[in-house]
Amino acid sequence: MQAPMFLLEARSIVKSFGPTRVLRGVNFLVAPGEVHALLGGNGAGKSTLLKIVTGDLSHDAGNLVFAGHDMASPAGAEARAGRIAAVHQELALLPHLSVAENVALPLCKRGLALFRPAEARRFAVDALSLIDPAFAAEAVDRKVAELTLHEGQLVEIARAIGSGAQLLLLDEPTANLTAPEAERLFTILRRLVSERPIAAVFVSHRMQEIRQIADVCTILRDGITSADRVPVHDLTDVEIIERMGQQSAASALGPMPHPSPSTAVLLRRSFGTFHLSGPATEIELPPGRILGLAGGPTGPSRLIDALIGEAKKPIWKLCRNGQSVAPPNPHAAAASGIGYVSGDRVNKGIIAALPIIDNVMAARRIVERRIWVGWGEPAEADRLLDTLNITNGRLWALPATMSGGTQQKLLIARWLALKPQLLVLEEPTRGVDIGTKREIYTLIRTMAGLGSAIVWWSTEHAELISLCELVIAFDVQGEPTGALAAAELSDERLAAATGMAA
Amino acid sequence: MAEPLHSSGTYQGALSVPASRPSMIGRLISDYRTELAIALAILVLEGVVSALVPNALTRGNLADIGQAASPLIIMAIGQLLVVITGGIDLSVGSVFSLTGMITALAMVHGFGAVPSTALGLGIGFLTGLVNGLLVTVAGLAPFVVTLITYAAGGSLAFIVTNGQSLPVPDQSYVLLNSGALVPGVVNYALFCVVLLVACELFLRRAVAGRWLYAVGSNANASRLLGVPVRRTVLAAYLGSGLLASFASVLSLSYISNAEATAGSNLMLQAIAAVVIGGASLFGGTGSAIGAVLGAVMITAIQNGVNLIGVNSFWQGSVTAVVILIAVLVDRIGKGRR
Repeated sequence: MQAPMFLLEARSIVKSFGPTRVLRGVNFLVAPGEVHALLGGNGAGKSTLLKIVTGDLSHDAGNLVFAGHDMASPAGAEARAGRIAAVHQELALLPHLSVAENVALPLCKRGLALFRPAEARRFAVDALSLIDPAFAAEAVDRKVAELTLHEGQLVEIARAIGSGAQLLLLDEPTANLTAPEAERLFTILRRLVSERPIAAVFVSHRMQEIRQIADVCTILRDGITSADRVPVHDLTDVEIIERMGQQSAASALGPMPHPSPSTAVLLRRSFGTFHLSGPATEIELPPGRILGLAGGPTGPSRLIDALIGEAKKPIWKLCRNGQSVAPPNPHAAAASGIGYVSGDRVNKGIIAALPIIDNVMAARRIVERRIWVGWGEPAEADRLLDTLNITNGRLWALPATMSGGTQQKLLIARWLALKPQLLVLEEPTRGVDIGTKREIYTLIRTMAGLGSAIVWWSTEHAELISLCELVIAFDVQGEPTGALAAAELSDERLAAATGMAA
Repeated sequence: MAEPLHSSGTYQGALSVPASRPSMIGRLISDYRTELAIALAILVLEGVVSALVPNALTRGNLADIGQAASPLIIMAIGQLLVVITGGIDLSVGSVFSLTGMITALAMVHGFGAVPSTALGLGIGFLTGLVNGLLVTVAGLAPFVVTLITYAAGGSLAFIVTNGQSLPVPDQSYVLLNSGALVPGVVNYALFCVVLLVACELFLRRAVAGRWLYAVGSNANASRLLGVPVRRTVLAAYLGSGLLASFASVLSLSYISNAEATAGSNLMLQAIAAVVIGGASLFGGTGSAIGAVLGAVMITAIQNGVNLIGVNSFWQGSVTAVVILIAVLVDRIGKGRR
């Protein structure tokens, strides 16, 4: 019997960062003609594995074979060149170049060859049209710096799909897409893998999506393979979550109970009620209310920027007792107790060169106008990390030693003990596994219970539905399309109001 | 239904045993490993020099190195503040020259030593203010801004006396450098040590010092978090300008003669000292101890080359090799990803 030919064979891959073993013998086999879901919790090693496959990281031990070539050999490295394309969570586009150049330049193999703009443009239009012809025509000549996050994501995906690569690595590609765009992406992926001997690896935390697009899955848990090429339809949702090592989180799939009003009220510290007004919208924001923002990212960003003092000409007003309390800049916002946590950890959250303790204590130092780093801070920070079940965090290590999800918890930890009067959350669960999401929901609830008003933008409708008392929906253009109370919230209503996929 | 999430026990967390923390000493060693390596390199350098030149390690020669290094040490500390924020201050050499000229000129015109010195320090303050405002408010690139003030300051240093050098008329001015405010400790050494300790403490223990690193590491995230980014960066340029001026008056007190070209070599040396000391020009890293050791290293090389009797034209090349080795070792030390 002939062994099945795999496009990518990664066997017993081991990788350590310093003393931390991230991968402890991972198997990952991808056959041509399939969409392969790579699943696992935060810190399970998915990103590391993908970076090893693309050659961005070296592995310490194990075999990596691509299209029959050992990638450790020079021939293997050559075989890989241009035949593996990746879409990472963080966009990797060149902001000063046009969309056409961004899509076409990576394909120019020889640096000295002539760059033909017309040809590059045609190529880029073709690639973009795979996803959205209207967007292709409109965007191809624009500079990448002018694109929104969502448009940038489209360009990255188009570049990868259009590159002619045999192996597509898509790390949460739908995080910023609307429902029709995600649908088109799935259709195109299906067509590509059925027409040509190529394969797509798909990383996602959205169970619905995984079922929709993936044939087989590989699940990582703590750096080892806990499910090796298992057909997705052979596993139930609960089984998948269990294999990810998150048995306790399996129950998270069900609806979450709302907190009983009595306990919540007891613990509330009164900050007074905020009054939020914007285009055709008036919202009361009493202490403890969780206000959801759906859709986006244009509309929610405008509101969030106004709340944290980042908007130049805010169209949203924040008042209390008839007086404007909108902060003029982020420093004023933080100092007056308006907390902000972004899911865009790399650009808007983590200070990578400072140790964990500085990252955790940063907000407290601002709010309390501290002048010196107190001697009590290590104990304070330790207590916070313990509260959040962050066990692998050494206070003087850099944040990069922690997984993305843990870093996210750390950002919330900044505000946890401060009881901010208003907490602004911008996709705090982006790229976070289900277990950590569950913990983040708990934290949000806890802080609401302690009297913080919460404004929370999420593109995952399920979490808004289970946690929010009120949701403002925005359409793709950024206009608010209505405020929905908890009783009216449903996937269908939100999808209709926002035009985004659940 | 009872919601355990809201019990204060869960929230505050049981007062569990804190996760094991490395000992203070262990942490200091790991924090300062770059600095320890430079200190070791300086010792090796002095060992080599003393093997070739028998009298290299005499008290007199070591004091010479200290005396020669002190202006550079002070300027390197100032430069470090700016480099940590991800900027660069090219104006320090011109500030040094202009401060010396203005201070001497004031004394020649009959001002006392104290107001003249204050006037000189004013040059650094003013330049730092202009640099800082242009970088933070106008949003110009630090390299460009300080290139402008470098050019302007350098030319003003010539204009004020038409290029003539000025002797310091006040004989007692030398006491600023060579007196002993604290009995038994010569002033230049005292100033260096006090500034080093103050700056290192500021960087490690003051919240504003931590903001310098935060801004240099990720200015956008820092701003959104509420760090007063503009104030922080402005303060760094003010510090750099003031310290460059202070280095200049200290040097003027020793040499007793102001020259328009006095600081022309110092700008690159200050940047080199900071880089040898482990700071990254991309911002976010560096320590005062490292910068000071970098300055000592550069001075020790100059001194060694002189003692051994090699043509002094080789100084630059030796320094170049040392910088290259320092950054390569640092690069390798930070590890392969």
